[in-house]
Amino acid sequence: MILSASVLVLTLAQQPAQGFDHLKHKALFPSCTSCHAGAAQQGASLWPDPVSCTACHDGTIEKAVVWRAPAAPRRSNLRFDHVEHAAKAKDQPASCTACHTLAGEPRMAVREPVVQRCFDCHGIRTAHVAAPDSACTTCHVPLARAASLTRADVAGFPAPPSHAAPDFLSRSGHGATSRQALGTSCATCHAREFCYQCHAGSAPPRAIASLASDPRSAAILARAAPASHDANFADRHATVAAASTTSCTSCHVRADCLECHRPSAGARGAGYHPDGFLARHPASAYAREASCSDCHNVGSFCTSCHARAGLVAAGVLRSGYHDARQFFLAGHGQAARQGLESCVSCHAERDCLTCHSAVGGRRFNPHGPGFDAARMRRKNFAMCTVCHGAAVP
Amino acid sequence: MKHVVVLLVLFNSPLVAQGYRLRLDGRFQAVGYRGVQLDSIPATDTVAGPGSGPTTPDGFAVRCPSGAPYCLFFRPGAVQRGAPFVTTADASLWGFGVRGVSAHATARAAVDFTGSDAWPGTEPAIQLLTGYVEYNAERLTARAGRQLNSNRLGMIGFDGASVTARDGRHGLDVSLYGGWGLARGAALPVTSPALNPIDDFEPGKRQLLLGAEVGWSGRLGDVRAEYLREVDPASDYFVSERVGVAGVARPAARWSLSAGADYDLAAGWWGSAEATLGYSARSATSSLGIRRYRPHFDLWTIWGAFSPVPYTAVQGQVSIRALPQVQVRARGEHYRFSDADVSTPLVSVEQAGWRGELGVTASPAPAWTLDAGYTREFGPGAASVGTSASVTYAPAGPYAITLHGAAMDRPLELRFSESVLHLYGVDGRYEVNPDIRFELGAVRYAEDRRRPDAAAIDWGQWRVTVRAVLAIGSGDDLGRLPPAVRRMPGGRAER
Repeated sequence: MILSASVLVLTLAQQPAQGFDHLKHKALFPSCTSCHAGAAQQGASLWPDPVSCTACHDGTIEKAVVWRAPAAPRRSNLRFDHVEHAAKAKDQPASCTACHTLAGEPRMAVREPVVQRCFDCHGIRTAHVAAPDSACTTCHVPLARAASLTRADVAGFPAPPSHAAPDFLSRSGHGATSRQALGTSCATCHAREFCYQCHAGSAPPRAIASLASDPRSAAILARAAPASHDANFADRHATVAAASTTSCTSCHVRADCLECHRPSAGARGAGYHPDGFLARHPASAYAREASCSDCHNVGSFCTSCHARAGLVAAGVLRSGYHDARQFFLAGHGQAARQGLESCVSCHAERDCLTCHSAVGGRRFNPHGPGFDAARMRRKNFAMCTVCHGAAVP
Repeated sequence: MKHVVVLLVLFNSPLVAQGYRLRLDGRFQAVGYRGVQLDSIPATDTVAGPGSGPTTPDGFAVRCPSGAPYCLFFRPGAVQRGAPFVTTADASLWGFGVRGVSAHATARAAVDFTGSDAWPGTEPAIQLLTGYVEYNAERLTARAGRQLNSNRLGMIGFDGASVTARDGRHGLDVSLYGGWGLARGAALPVTSPALNPIDDFEPGKRQLLLGAEVGWSGRLGDVRAEYLREVDPASDYFVSERVGVAGVARPAARWSLSAGADYDLAAGWWGSAEATLGYSARSATSSLGIRRYRPHFDLWTIWGAFSPVPYTAVQGQVSIRALPQVQVRARGEHYRFSDADVSTPLVSVEQAGWRGELGVTASPAPAWTLDAGYTREFGPGAASVGTSASVTYAPAGPYAITLHGAAMDRPLELRFSESVLHLYGVDGRYEVNPDIRFELGAVRYAEDRRRPDAAAIDWGQWRVTVRAVLAIGSGDDLGRLPPAVRRMPGGRAER
């Protein structure tokens, strides 16, 4: 699959030159290793000593220059070591120009390593990122071992041509390739997190777990949110979710649902309710557009605001809330049975028991359609005694 | 037996986590609005108001309790100010030495800097929403601690244990859970004084809870059944006992039929139910369904004995992507309450209602989103009609800004409180990186309350919000991953 050789070499080749004109100095330096000793001697610095420059560039003979060797090794995912490579390639014409110049160029026309020269020696007859899957590991370590690369470096990996094939995203495309080369070539550019951008569902291919974990791999964006997840998706996601639960579970787990579908008491910003819901919540709450009490405890949530707005009863008959109905108290039965949850966000039991109690009240019967006295008595006799005392009928 | 051994090993291992993720979501708000002050006046000092009802001499409508020598009314009070700071922490720990074992906690700390208690949910200051240890294997999930179980019976919070066994090959799962229950809609026990400022019959002990679920999931549908009973340990009486069943059938691509119902075994009546036919395609989604809603009350209150009646509704919604950049939406619902079986000759209230919305969202350019909507609701108790619009500019960079506004009439049925409300505000977001985000918002509610007396106390107010979200963990740079993976301890390999 993703072999690619999305290699840093190519990235580095596009980096600006460092300013030293090798060709201009070709007469001064007959040997590369006189400045770059590390290319031939294990442990020596690959960079020249700045002092050697000041022999000429002292401000008198030549203008002074200020240069310092890079403090850190170059960011790379190459498995290349100059000395080891020279030792292994002893049967090849190993020279600096073999990698650092184009064919036919003079010795000091050096540049960043030329990938094609590597391919020439290693018998690879393609362009860099089009190299066969088996070739990546020749030069590159897996991403998880290329510790010096940044997220930006990873994001800049070029995609090989194979990834643009129409069926690449199918099982016969990258699926088949990954079964052959997941742990080797794919791992050059990718790690587990990259795969999980799509294979996040309840049953991702087990092979993914064989890849190393490296969050930097998610810098290569495999997939954005689906087109369906637009601005108003939250309002209508129920239909989509019911149509294909497995689609949702590709990216979501139950905990994601609980971000909104949980008791939250105003702790979050954009959540379950749409913007401006606070302003229109009376109409929605009276007839329970949703089941408010699933998430909001009436006693702790509604009451605190309603009290400050003067909406909570200070006691029976004292509220003054229902001031648009002169005789509301005498005819509140229908409203109460229809919107009992709204009533109890302001009224306590004692308000109602003043009249609706067989003990000390005015004996108005509150029981209505569907009331099963025998069952409720059996389930919770204590509730019956609140109004009836010990003489429950 | 294998799993038991694992658990024994766990609890004999040093609990040193090798990996963690922590998400902190801090939100500060400032709000100020006109308060009210309860006042009274001798009944003999009232005068006839414009509506022929009694008022104070300076024009406040009063309510005079029958036989009482005085009448009550609300005057404008001091400005109420609130400055709540709410922080939610969501943490996962894993790597305790046993594969599949992890710990999770979600806690919230809330404080109102003004000390005015003007914000809901700030008492108690620290609340544990969930906090449990989990062992997760392919066929078994076991949890112990504070958990939140969401099913068609509602949000079931409890302190206890749960076990889920599953047969993925056949799509079957069975769950059993139990413990000491939490109050509905809160992360607090029902004995907490924070929950009971107006109720009279607060239980002395937390209810014991036992629930079971069984589900089947297949290519053509899902079915799920649930049972839940809650018992007051002080009296051994039931607090609630319910069963529910829900299912989804997917007979053809893009089509679904979902349905569910619950039955209150304690009260002996059907609770809520629904059936919805849905269609979902790339360019359009729609649904048509019926539903019935009846509130559920625990038996430690007396409200269930007052026979709340259900309503039955017909509802539908459609969303169509008319053009690649334009999506239109519409939804509506009509509902009617069952006969309440009461005679109220002096007061008639609405028995039916409806609600609807029309809206359009357009993206004329990649960074721009325009949205406009019209909503209308009418029903028992309250109504509203209003328009809203927003403009969002969200370039590919780290920030986004939204301007929004709305206008709304919202009359009430039982109260002289018709008002016209204008709402306008701005929201901004700056994302430093996928793990650090800041948000700033301000909104103005400008209300013109139209009462026929002097008590037209407007509710106009400013609300300012500052929010910061920080995610840290032993695996960095996770922001681009799907939500499911970001939450996953140690990635899939741990599961």
